[in-house]
Amino acid sequence: MWRPTSVDRPTGVFIGLIIVSLVLITVDLRASGAGIGGTLREGVQDVFTPVQRVVSVGTRPVAEFLEDLSDIFSLRGENRRLRDEVIALERELVEAKSLQTRVGELEAILGLEPPAELDSIVAQVLAVGVSEFDHSRVIDRGRSAGITVDMPVVDEGGLVGRVISVTDEVSRVQLITDPSVRVAVRVDRTGETGVLTGRGSAPMVLEMFNTDAAVVEGDTLSTADGRFPAGIPVARVLEPARSEVSFSLRTTAEPTAQVTRIDFVRVLVFTRDEAGIQDLEDLERPPIIIPSDEPPAEGESDEGLPTETSIPTGEGEGEGTTGTGEEGG
Amino acid sequence: MNTTLKYRRAVVVVGSIILAAALQTTLFLRFRPFDAAPALVMLVVIAFARHLPAEFALFTGFSAGLLEDLLSQSALGLWALTLTTVAYLVVRIRDRLEEDFSLLAPFVFGLSVGGITLFAVLGTIFGEKTLADAGFLRNILVPSLYNVALTGLVLPLLTWALGVSDKQNPYQV
Repeated sequence: MWRPTSVDRPTGVFIGLIIVSLVLITVDLRASGAGIGGTLREGVQDVFTPVQRVVSVGTRPVAEFLEDLSDIFSLRGENRRLRDEVIALERELVEAKSLQTRVGELEAILGLEPPAELDSIVAQVLAVGVSEFDHSRVIDRGRSAGITVDMPVVDEGGLVGRVISVTDEVSRVQLITDPSVRVAVRVDRTGETGVLTGRGSAPMVLEMFNTDAAVVEGDTLSTADGRFPAGIPVARVLEPARSEVSFSLRTTAEPTAQVTRIDFVRVLVFTRDEAGIQDLEDLERPPIIIPSDEPPAEGESDEGLPTETSIPTGEGEGEGTTGTGEEGG
Repeated sequence: MNTTLKYRRAVVVVGSIILAAALQTTLFLRFRPFDAAPALVMLVVIAFARHLPAEFALFTGFSAGLLEDLLSQSALGLWALTLTTVAYLVVRIRDRLEEDFSLLAPFVFGLSVGGITLFAVLGTIFGEKTLADAGFLRNILVPSLYNVALTGLVLPLLTWALGVSDKQNPYQV
C-alpha cells in the first residue's frame, strides 16, 4: 500500500517557502515589475533610504580611506597615463577651437541654431545594486526633484544610463553596461551607426551594420536614438572592427563615463522621441529575408505575393514593454 | 528560552540583516577592489542559520532574500528562493560543521559560490540575463572569496550578538 514519504518539519517549511518564492516570481514577472511588486519596492525603498543615507554618511570616511589606500598602488601608472592624456588633449583643444570656428561659420551660412542646452538635475549616487549582477545605482533625487522614468543620466565623461524607477526621494538608474541594455550609437569620426550592447563588467559590444565602415581604436561613439539627446558620448572603441561571416561588424568598446566609480551625476530633463523609439525597435528586429529558390507551384502563384519569405528573428519578441527597446531589466 | 531573550534575538537578527543590506549597498559603492563587493547579506544568513532553530533560520533566509529583492530590480522572490536554500543547507550541514571548525572557511566559500550561482541560473531562467554578463565567473568567485575573508569577523560577532558561544550546543538558542 502506498504511503506518503515522511518529510521532517524543516524540509516541509523549506518546500513551502520555495513554493511561495516561485509564486512571487511568477506574479512579479506577469506584472512586469509593476502591480503589487512595484508598490512594495517603492515603499521599501522609501523606508530604506534614510537608513542608507545614515550608513552612507557614517561609512564614507572609511570607504574613502580604503579607496585611497587601493589607489596608491596605481598612482604611478595613472600619473604617466594622465601626462600623455594632457598632451593629447592640448592638441585636440587646438583642433577643436579651429573646428568650432568653422562650425559657427557654417551654421551662420545655413541659418541653423545650435541645440539649446538641456536642463539637468544634479544628484549624488546613494547606493549600488545588491549583487554583482545588479547593474543599477540609486541616486538621491526623485520625483520631488522633477525626475521621471526614462530620463538620461550622464556624468562628466558621457552617458551613464537611464532612470528606470522613481520614488519621491530617490531614483534607480540602469547603467549602460547592463546586459539588457542596447543603445543606438553613431561613430563621431565617420557618422556610421551601430548598436552598443552592455555585457556587465566586460567591455561593451558594438555592432556596425555597414560592413564597409571602418572602426578604429579610440573612435568615440555618441548617442543616436530617440531615448537620449543626440551626440552624448557613450563609449570609446577598444579595437578595430573586424569583419565576420555575418551581416555586421563586431568590436568592443568601453564606456566614456566612469560607470563603476560614479559619485555625482546629472539627470537630463529630456522627453523621449516616441516616433524615434518605434523606428529603433523596428531596426533592432529586422526580418530575415530568405530568397525563395524554388518557383511557386502552378496554381499557387499569386502576383500579389512576394518571392521572399519574411521570418521574424524571434529575438526581442515580446520585449520592450517599456517601449525602450531594452529587454527586461 | 524566556520571552525577553527571544525578542532580543529577533531584534538582533532583523537589525543585522538591515544593517548588512545597507552596508552592502553603500560602503561598497566606491570601494570595490577588483570591481566587486562581498555578499554580506548572504554571509549574515549563514551566520544566523548556524545557531537559530531550523524553521526560524529558514524564515530568516527568506526574509533577508525578500529584502534584497525589494531593493533591486530582480524578480520578486529570486533572492528569497536563493537565501532560503542557503539557510536550509546550513541547517542540514551545521552538525558536522560544529565538530570541525577548520571546515568553516571552505563551507562559507562553497555556500557563497553555490548561492550566487543559483541566483545567476534562476535569474537567467526567469529572463534576467544574469549569465549574459561576460564577467559572471568573476561575479561569483570574487564576492565568495570576500565572504571567506570576512568570515573570521562576521561569524563570531553575530554569534556573540545572539548571546551564544561556539562551544555551546548551538540549536538551543
